[in-house]
Amino acid sequence: MSPHHPNPSSLKSRFTTRFLRALTKINAQNPISSSSPREILQRFRRIKVAADKSMAYSVRSRRTWSRAMRWKLRSRSWRQASSVRRLKITTSCHQAIMKKTAHERENKTTTGEGVGFGVQTDELRELVPGGEAMDLCNLLDETAHYIKCLTTQVQVMRKIVDFYSP
Amino acid sequence: MSHGLHSLETCTYNGMDMTVLERQQARLKWQQLQNYGVQNNNPTELCASSVPQIQGFLGSSLGSGQLVEMKKPEVYLGSDDFPKFVNFSVAGPEFSASKMDLVPPEDAADYCISGTSSCQMTAFQTAVMNEEREDVILKKMESTTGRESFSKRKAEAVQDDKCKDKRVKGEVEGESEVKTKCSTEVSRNSSKENSKASEVQKPDYIHVRARRGQATDSHSLAERARREKISKKMKCLQDLVPGCNKITGKAGMLDEIINYVQSLQRQVEFLSMKLAAVNPSVEFNVDNLPAKEFPAYVANFPAAAKSPAMANLACLQFNPLQKAVSCMLDATMHPPQTATEGIASASVSIPEQALSSSCITQLQPFSTWNTDPRGLYNVYNMGFH
Repeated sequence: MSPHHPNPSSLKSRFTTRFLRALTKINAQNPISSSSPREILQRFRRIKVAADKSMAYSVRSRRTWSRAMRWKLRSRSWRQASSVRRLKITTSCHQAIMKKTAHERENKTTTGEGVGFGVQTDELRELVPGGEAMDLCNLLDETAHYIKCLTTQVQVMRKIVDFYSP
Repeated sequence: MSHGLHSLETCTYNGMDMTVLERQQARLKWQQLQNYGVQNNNPTELCASSVPQIQGFLGSSLGSGQLVEMKKPEVYLGSDDFPKFVNFSVAGPEFSASKMDLVPPEDAADYCISGTSSCQMTAFQTAVMNEEREDVILKKMESTTGRESFSKRKAEAVQDDKCKDKRVKGEVEGESEVKTKCSTEVSRNSSKENSKASEVQKPDYIHVRARRGQATDSHSLAERARREKISKKMKCLQDLVPGCNKITGKAGMLDEIINYVQSLQRQVEFLSMKLAAVNPSVEFNVDNLPAKEFPAYVANFPAAAKSPAMANLACLQFNPLQKAVSCMLDATMHPPQTATEGIASASVSIPEQALSSSCITQLQPFSTWNTDPRGLYNVYNMGFH
C-alpha cells in the first residue's frame, strides 16, 4: 500500500509526529490502570491541549493564529505552575494586550470596516485564536488556514482512533 | 526568433515604445506573408492569407495594435504554419498556452475551413467573429495564469492613449485593474477618453481605473479595492467549506463558516476524548519510524494492539466511556442537570463501535447540525439508547 503522504515535511506528517510523541508522554506519565471518569477527563484535557499544541507548533508561528495559540498555551502553563509574581506579570501583560486589541477594534469599527457583517465577524473572531487583533481581510486569510489545519488535525486523530479502537 | 521573443518579453514592460515596435514588426510580417500565397486555395494557405487580412481589418477598424496582437493566438489555433507569427506577438509563452486552453478547438476549424470564397470576405467574417469573441476572451483572460502579463499589456494599451506611467502594485490590484479595464473595453464606444478614467497620481500606490458612472474619489477607490479583496477571499473560503455553493451573500457564508469551524473544533474535542478513553495501554514508538509512512508504521503496532491486556481493557472501557462522555457533555454543552444524572447512572453497555460510528456520522453532516446544544445532546441521547 502506497504511503498516504509522500511529503515528509508536510503539515500532516509534522503534526502526526508531534502529536504521537505527546501521546506517548501522556501515556507514560499516567498509570494505565486508571478507569475512573475523573482521570479520563484529566487525560482528555491533556490530550486536547497536546493536540492544539502540536498543531500550533507544526505551523511554526508563520500564521497569526498559531502565534496567538502558542502564546495562550504558554501563558496557561505559566499560570498553572507559577508563583504569584509571575501571575501578576502575565495578567498585566495580557490586560495590556487586550486593551490594545480592544482599541484596535474600536478603530476598525469606526472607520467603517464592517460592510454589514456585524455580529458574525465578532463570532468568527472569537473562534479563531488571535482573531481579535485582525482586520477583516487578514481574519479571512487566517480562517482559511485555520480550517485547513483543523481538518488535518481531525483526519489524523480519526485515523489514530480508528486504528486503536477494537 | 527565440531571442527576439525574449527581448520582446523583457521590453514589453518598459514603456510604450515596444508597442510601436511590435506593431511595426507585425506589419512587416504581414507584408512578407502577403507576398507568399494570396491566390492559393489551400486551406492552410487560406489561413495564411486571411490572417494578415484580419490583421489589416482589425488594425484599421479597432485602431489599436495591441488588440490585433491579442487576436493572433486565436487565429493561430487553426494552423501550425505561423509559430513565429504568434511568438513575437504574445507577451509570454504562458499567455499563448493559456489562450489555447480557453478557446475551444472548434473555433480553429472555423478559420481554416473557410471555403474557397474570396479572401476578403472570409477575413471580414473572421474579423467580425473575433470582435464578438473579444469580450468573452477578455473576461476569460482575467482568470488565467497569464493575468500579470495581461494586465501589464493592458496597461500599455492605456499608455498609448494616456502617455502616463503606470505601476501595478500587486496581483490583486492588477486584477481589479483588469476587471475595471475590461468593463470599459467591452463597453467601448471607440472613445477611450480621459473622462471615464481617473488615476491616482501617487507613486507606489494602487492604480485603479474607475468604471463608468462610478465615483472617482481616492477613498472610494481604495474602498472598492478592499471590498474586492474581501470578496475574493470569501470565494476561497467557499471552496474550503463544503456545501457552500448554494449560499449567496456574505452573511450566510459567514454563518456557514462559523458553523464549520465550530464543528471542527468539537470534532477535535470528541476525538481527543476518545483517545483518552481508548488508548491506555498502547505504546507509540514514534522514534523508530519515519513520519511519512504513517499508515505503515501505525500498522507496525499490531503486536501492542493485539495484546491480551487490550482485550480485557476493552470491556472495561464501555462504562467509563459513557460516564466520561457524559461528563464531557456536562462540561462543554451545559445540558440540564437532571438529564445528565440520568445518563451517568445508566448502566447500559453499548458496543463502542456503535457509539463512535453513530456519533461520528452525526458529526460529519455538519451542515444539518444546528448550533443549538440541545440538538447535539439529543444525538448523544440516541447513542445511549
